[in-house]
Formats: sequence, C-alpha cells, structure tokens
Amino acid sequence: MDELANPTGPRKEFINNHCREFMKMIKDIQVTLRDEIKSACEYRPFEKCDYSSRISNEICCKKLEYVLFQLDAMKQTIDEYQATV
Amino acid sequence: MAFYYRTSLRGHIYQSINPEILRAKWTFPFYISEFRNAETGLLFLGLNSKFFLQIFRENKNMDGNLEISLDKLPIKRLDSIEENGVERYPSDSSYDEKRVSLIRRIDFAWAVEDDEERERKKRQKKSSKDASATWQWQSMVENLQLAHQELSVIIDLINTVEANDAVTVAGMTRPKPLPNEVLSDLAVSAATKLQCYRQLGKYFKQSAKALEEQIAREARFYGALIRLQQNWKVKRQRLAAAASSSEGFIIDLFDNSLYDSAAMCRPSSLSTIRVDHDSAGMLAINLPPNSCRSLHFGFLGVHSADIPKELGKIRTRGSVEQHTREHEKESMSDDEYIKETHTLLREVHQSIFDDQVFEMLNREAFNQSIGVNVTGIRENYLQLSIGQGNTLFISLVPSSKGDDQDAANTQDSESAIVPLDSFDNVKFEEGKHGTPKRKWGFPNRTSCEIYLQQIVHEHAFVKAKDKPNLSGTRVSGQSGKDGPGLLGHFCLSLAHRIFSNRVLVELENVVCRVPYLHLMTHPTWHSQASSWTIFLKVPQSILHAESQSLKSDFQNMKDAVKSQFRTKVVVNDDRINVEGEGAPNVVSLFKRSSENISSVNKYECDLADLPVIILLQGDTVSLVAHVNPEDIKGGIAWWLVMEDGSTDDWKLQMDMYDGASEYRKFLGHLTLDVLYSTLMDLVSLCGGGRNH
Repeated sequence: MDELANPTGPRKEFINNHCREFMKMIKDIQVTLRDEIKSACEYRPFEKCDYSSRISNEICCKKLEYVLFQLDAMKQTIDEYQATV
Repeated sequence: MAFYYRTSLRGHIYQSINPEILRAKWTFPFYISEFRNAETGLLFLGLNSKFFLQIFRENKNMDGNLEISLDKLPIKRLDSIEENGVERYPSDSSYDEKRVSLIRRIDFAWAVEDDEERERKKRQKKSSKDASATWQWQSMVENLQLAHQELSVIIDLINTVEANDAVTVAGMTRPKPLPNEVLSDLAVSAATKLQCYRQLGKYFKQSAKALEEQIAREARFYGALIRLQQNWKVKRQRLAAAASSSEGFIIDLFDNSLYDSAAMCRPSSLSTIRVDHDSAGMLAINLPPNSCRSLHFGFLGVHSADIPKELGKIRTRGSVEQHTREHEKESMSDDEYIKETHTLLREVHQSIFDDQVFEMLNREAFNQSIGVNVTGIRENYLQLSIGQGNTLFISLVPSSKGDDQDAANTQDSESAIVPLDSFDNVKFEEGKHGTPKRKWGFPNRTSCEIYLQQIVHEHAFVKAKDKPNLSGTRVSGQSGKDGPGLLGHFCLSLAHRIFSNRVLVELENVVCRVPYLHLMTHPTWHSQASSWTIFLKVPQSILHAESQSLKSDFQNMKDAVKSQFRTKVVVNDDRINVEGEGAPNVVSLFKRSSENISSVNKYECDLADLPVIILLQGDTVSLVAHVNPEDIKGGIAWWLVMEDGSTDDWKLQMDMYDGASEYRKFLGHLTLDVLYSTLMDLVSLCGGGRNH
C-alpha cells in the first residue's frame, strides 16, 4: 500500500508481483471450481440405495461369516491332527 | 443623484445614511422597485410587498433630501399556527395603542434637523470666528461621528434581522479560502476517507471469516449427508424444519418393495431416523440405546456353540458404543465417522427386517399351517415343536444382549424338557471307542437363523419374477392354503435335517469299521431330502475264495464277477429308502411312524442289516420291514413284496395299500432265527430261479 502511494509512482516489479499473485489466485479458484463441478456431476444420489438387495447382501455376509468359521474350525482340526501325527 | 434616506423603523428615527454603504454590505431579500408618482413626485420603494417604503421628497428647500417612513401594510398578519392547526393572529390593538403608534409615525426629523442645522450654523459661526483656531483633529472627529452614525444604523439593521421581523439574510458568500487551506481540507477529507475504508475493510474481513467458518461447518454436514444419500433414502420435512432448529432431514429406512405389501405395510418407529447436528455442526444420529433388536434362534435343551463373539461384535457396536463415540469423535476423521454412521444405519435396517420376519412368523404360526406346532409363546418369543421331541424357539432380543438371553431362555422355558438323555448317552458311549463322531445331532443354530431369514426374505421381499429358480426351495405362496407355509417348511426342513444327521451317524458307524466300505454324500438341493451311497468294494481275497459265505454265493449266481456293489440310501423327511445296484438288487424299505420316541435302537439294527439282502434278477423280491412300535409282538412286521422288473422307479412309495403291480404277503413278526432262515431260503430260491 505504501508502495502504491509512492509519490513517484510504484515500481514496475511491484505491480507485476501484485498482478501475478492475483492471477495465480484466480487460477487456483478456477481449478478448484472445476474439480468441484466434476465431482458434483459424477455424483449420483441413491446409487446404492436398494433396500431389499441390501438385506440379501447382509444375509450373504452372515453366511460367509459362518462358512469362514467352519473353515477355520476345519483348519484348526487339521493342524491339531498334523501336530499329533 | 445621491439619495439620503431617512428610515424610520419601529418608530426609530435615523439620520441620513449613505445608501452606498447599505448596498455594498448586505443584500436584502426585499425587492426594491421604484415607483415614481408623477403627480407628487414621490418615489415609492416596494419592500417585500409587506412594507411600503415611502420616499418622499422633502421640501425643495432642503436640497433633495428624501425622507423614508416605513408603514406596515394593513394586512392581518398571521402570528403563529399551533399544532392542532389553530391559527393565531395578533390581537387587535386597542384604540390607545393605535394612537400611540400613529404618534410614533410622526416624523420629527425636521425638528431634529433644524436643531442640527442650528448647531452646525453655530459651529460654522464658531469656526468662522476662530478659523485660525481650527482644531487639527476636527475633521477626524467629524469622520468618526459619521462612522458612528453609520455603524449605529448597521447595528440596528442587524438587530432587526436577528429578530427575524422584517428581513432575513438570504445567503452569505463564503470567504475565498486561502491556498494552504485548500490543501489541508483535501488532506483531512482524504484521511477521513482512508479511515472509513480501513474500518470497512476490517468489517468485511470479519464477516468473511465468519462466513468461511459457517461454510466449512455446513460443507462438513452436507458432505456427510451426501455420502449417506448414496446408500440411504434421505428425505426432508420442511414443516419439521420450521418447528425445530435443524433443517429437518430424515433417513427413511422403510422398504416399500414388499411383495406382500398388504400384510406388512406398517413402518416401525425405527424406520424414520432424524438427522441431527452435534456440537460442532457435524451430522449426528442419536438413537436410544438398545433400540435395535435382532432375531435369535435356538433349540431347547441344546446348548449350541455359537460362532465366536467377534462376529457378533460387529453387530452390537452401534448400540453399545454410542456413548464412547462422543469422546472419540475428535480423534476420528470424517471418513471413519461416516463409516460408523453407515454401520449404525445398517444395524437399524437389519433390526427392522428382523422385526418384520418375526411378525410374519407369528402370523403364520397361528394360521394352523402344516408342520407348525406352537408350544409356547411369550412377548417376542415363539416356541415350536418339530417332532421327535425336538423343540425350537425363535425370539427377538435386543442386539447387545443376544447371547445372555439364550441361556435365560433355556432355563425358564415353560414347555417340556426334551428327554434326549438316551440319545446323548449313546453318543458319548460311541465316542469312547475313539472313533470320530459328529458331536451334536442338531444343526448349527446360526445356520438355521440365516436360513430362516433367507427364506422369509426371498418369499416376502423379492418380487415374483426375481425369485431364484431353485427347485428344492419352492414354498407355497400364502399361508393357510394347501401346503405348508414358510414356517411349516422351515420346521419340516429342520426336522428332516435332525433325522438325517442321525442316519448319517449310523451310516458312518457301519462304514468306519470296514475298510472296503466307502460312504459318499450326495447333495440333493432339496431341504427335505438327503442321500448317501455306500460303496462295497469286495477285496480280491474274498472274490476268489470258494467259501460258503453269503457273498460267494452271490457271485456264483452270476457269470460276471462283480467286485463293486453300491447301495444308495435316500432319506425323505423321516423316511429312509435303501436301494442297491449291481448284483445284489436290493430294495428294502423302512418306515417309521413319527410318534415313536425310542425307535433308535431298532433303527440301528435295521441299518446294520443293510448288507444282508436279497436279490433277484429281473423281478425283485424284497423283504420289507414295517416298524410299528405299537405292535405287541415286537416292533417289526415283515412283508414279502414282489414287484415287476419293469418298474423303473426303485423307490417304493410309502403307501402300503397302493401299487397294483405289487404282490404282498404278510409274514408277521419274525424272530431273528426265523428271519435268517427265511433270508437263506430266499437266497437259494433266487439262485435256483435265476433263469426266468
């Protein structure tokens, strides 16, 4: 500010720096805006919002957990068997 | 022509004044217009149209002095107006006052002037007398006196202006500013502007900062909400928003894709979840603790080894750890927080589904469908008997206390205790022989739970065209019609599963002792049927042995030497069907009535007789055992059944009074010796009658 109020006028580099900073900020704003708009366009609401298939998936998850448990038990039995052999 | 005016204002009499002084210093708002009366030679000056300046010429002998007397025009002048609009006029002057005012108007100037002239003459005489004695200050004194007169006129004029009676000041021109004053004025205004701008700048910065914070808070809230919106139905109620301070967002968990919508269209209180703000403005969901319930299944009297609690922990996290969530929120990032919210919503969604499942099962249980036998009911608890003395229960428990409830239920159950002691003893006894055994005859309770949920979901929640085309799991649509409903189907499946487990134990028993017997399980994809195959691989040593054993007799009957025999065991519900292929054609059928409880022993010995069978090429002769515990002679009644070889279906259906192509002969109860001899006879008969 003081530089700008210089009675002989501000130096050229000073003005250049100011302008450069300003343009850089504008560019950042534009980049951010572009990203935001892109992500907003890619967003689809209720994309995975199917309640009955969600329940099916939950049931499948439970089945998987159970099977995993059985497999772990089998593995444990095998290990014990091999340990004793 | 220089005019000498003599003004009389308010009765004051003035000496003549220099008109130039008047005009130069003040601008009067009155309008001066000159009228000259042609007749009288009088000059009139109009003054604000209220005064009438009468200028008259004095006597000609007074060398053109004009005397002016101002008269108020006879207008009734408004004094004032009050607030209510009443006008006030000056009171009329009385007669005395009028006379006084008239007297005042008399101009005594001439008298004064005469006096002045006399004095002047005297002075002139004096001065002419002593001209030589003229005072050097005389002219100054005279000038001062003149100035004094003019000043007094001016002062009087100013007083009149101040009194605001006759004249008012129209305007005053500003004095021309000095050169340095211009610059300093400019500097002051510039400094003031700078100050104002600085203040504005500060204000804007503050507002911008506050706005940024507000935006950051809202961005966090709406960002989280948008991510939830991908998975859940987020709705907005504007009326609720007006009432409370939040924006009125809710998450609707009610599933309106129900197949049987007429029956299940009541949304529970949990299905609408309010989205709140927490202290930092972030999205928060507040649920009362233990509001989620989950379906729990179990067999009475059987303490089942559950899957370890780590798996159950995932389900109970939401309700138990809600209190700790507040403390940990600062350390959690937004992503983790949203994931936790997802988990919570998942739990609630599952809880709603479990509620619906339970309600539907209750409704079916009291519609008297096939296979359903309700033996006990409590709040959120349903107990059913599935035959063979087995009882199961289905209950709704709060998510956090699922496992404790199981123990509590088994202790204070109201139905009969299942006497499985004999069964268990047998198990343990055989276990002592060191052979590997299946520990429990009951299927895992978790798998039953999952199965129950799946069939309810497939039936009720999936549209008819989307249903998977599994042949075995076809369940008839509505309960109450012909055929079992969902619950009936489930109970029958479980009953079959329990029975087939026992059959398997027996088969394993048979097979495990003999090295050339192999047991294979076939999946049937039907929940009420199971099938195994026992392979009998006759070792070479026996094949070539020329012994009188039963097996060598079998081989002698045939030209081809078969070394592998296959026996198929099929269990449908609780009916066992044994069938053999290869050289020993075996059809033997075992039927059990479902009321008997202690049939286990008999069953054992039936199975143990499996390899001892009868054959016939072409036609089949079979020895059928009918197990009937109510028979007083013993449990088993034997039938001799002959059937055509043209029947392709080796499975004999259960109905003993059916089958036109069969020939039955009732043998009645046979002792073991008689049975053995009968078998031998039949074998020899088959050997002899082989050719036809």
